[in-house]
Amino acid sequence: MKFFIPFRKKSPWILHYNAGSCNGCDIEILAALGPKFDLERFGVINTGNPKQSDIFLVTGPVTYRSRERLVELYSQIPEPKVVIAVGSCTTTGGVFRGMYNVEDGIDRYIPVDVYVPGCASTPQLIIDAIVKALDILEAKSKEIEKPFKLFGAIETIGNKLSRLNMAKKVELHEKN
Amino acid sequence: MKKTIQIPLGSQHISLLEPIRFKFECENEKIIGVDADVGFVHRGVELACTRSFEFKQVGYVVARVCGLCAITHSLSYTLAVEKLLGYVANDRIKYLRMLMVELDRIHSHMLCLAHTAENAGFEALFMQIMADRELVMDLQEAISGNRVQFDFIAIGGVNRDLTPELSALIHKNLELLSDKIDTLLGLFDNNWSLSLKYKGVGVLTLDQAYTYNALGPLARAAGLATDVRVETSDFPYEALGYTMVLESTGDIHARNFVRLREILNSIAMCRNIVDNLPSGEIQEKTKGKPSGEAVVRVEAPRGELFYLVRGNGQNMLERVRIKTPTFSAIPAMMEVFKGSEYADAPAILASFDPCMSCTAK
Repeated sequence: MKFFIPFRKKSPWILHYNAGSCNGCDIEILAALGPKFDLERFGVINTGNPKQSDIFLVTGPVTYRSRERLVELYSQIPEPKVVIAVGSCTTTGGVFRGMYNVEDGIDRYIPVDVYVPGCASTPQLIIDAIVKALDILEAKSKEIEKPFKLFGAIETIGNKLSRLNMAKKVELHEKN
Repeated sequence: MKKTIQIPLGSQHISLLEPIRFKFECENEKIIGVDADVGFVHRGVELACTRSFEFKQVGYVVARVCGLCAITHSLSYTLAVEKLLGYVANDRIKYLRMLMVELDRIHSHMLCLAHTAENAGFEALFMQIMADRELVMDLQEAISGNRVQFDFIAIGGVNRDLTPELSALIHKNLELLSDKIDTLLGLFDNNWSLSLKYKGVGVLTLDQAYTYNALGPLARAAGLATDVRVETSDFPYEALGYTMVLESTGDIHARNFVRLREILNSIAMCRNIVDNLPSGEIQEKTKGKPSGEAVVRVEAPRGELFYLVRGNGQNMLERVRIKTPTFSAIPAMMEVFKGSEYADAPAILASFDPCMSCTAK
């Protein structure tokens, strides 16, 4: 499984879902994928399939009807995954806050890792968010690999297992 | 009895920018029936405009109905309120508003062309058009301060002025863009592999366009001469070199061509506006509160945008009704899908340039 860590960081695939936004952030995501801002230089590719994605880009304040689909898509993305909320209305509800069909931001339904401000978010901000998401993705990958690390941390003195050294190593690992 | 299969498209799909769900009734590869569900992004903007926002704020709220044609939404609302207040804008304000609307039309049309190309399978063409589109986005950012949601229009004027440096930048970028559009026109007309996906696919005839109330580039591609810019007299479009672009075949190719030639027309108009910009104030004080009922029609990139605003002399409005072009185009869209191949469906859908957040509000 350690084998996959560099590849996750080098080519994170994104899934984009519009949960009721005004299209402003969506076309900025398209522009960020285009040649001027060139998000694809980070290995990012826009997939339509949640089962192949690592990063979940959500726009919009979550309307009443899109909330089920949002949670469904989130649960279909395999671990480790990172959720980015693009735009002010995705983070807090923004201008739509308090409207009768709006759920005021996505963190009511799914955990969010990176919040992007702006109405509409500029491509530069979206790129920043994805670069930040790469670090989070790497940290989450490491978290998943943890059991394997512990298993490999066998210490011997002479021909005997050194329980004290192993316990110290585990402690050190927990700290980091 | 023939057997049919049902294939869904959406609400989340790689070819869709926004959620819309289609149920295609297919016989082998051919679509024989369509059912569409457009209500995923309904937020309740119309009600909030009358309950939680004052009439001076509503212009910025209705801009958030749609990010692509935000400026036409705020323009039509502002025009309606100005009618109720009895305020007439001076020529400089009118010209600046027209300039931003036309720039917005250019970028919206280019996005539609790029998206159609991507959905038809031409990734390189998508990248090329998106690169050219950045010229207009830079202009919009320089003029208004934001790339997409530029709250440029306010009641009683516009929020920013045009400086001589900006005029020079507009001329420079539009010069570059018009060359690139000429190249694209040649490409769309002559490229063989593009013609396979575009020519004769998704045909809307003149009769159908008339019957199903098609609007905007969709109607003009079928040969139906309808454009709000000539039907209303809010802005001096004819004096600034507006020409109606008409095609006759009504397929995806014709729609693309109408959009490309409208971009050229808009570029010419933008240049005229910048060259003949009258002097005057850009922001004037308005007095009173809106009372009465006003109806405004504005040509958005996708067709006619209709606003009804009713006020009773108080800070809160009584009713704001928005009828958007995509809402009117849905019956025509359903008709075009019938009889076409399933594989062409995403390209046909993108060529209509549907805007679901406009439709559902």
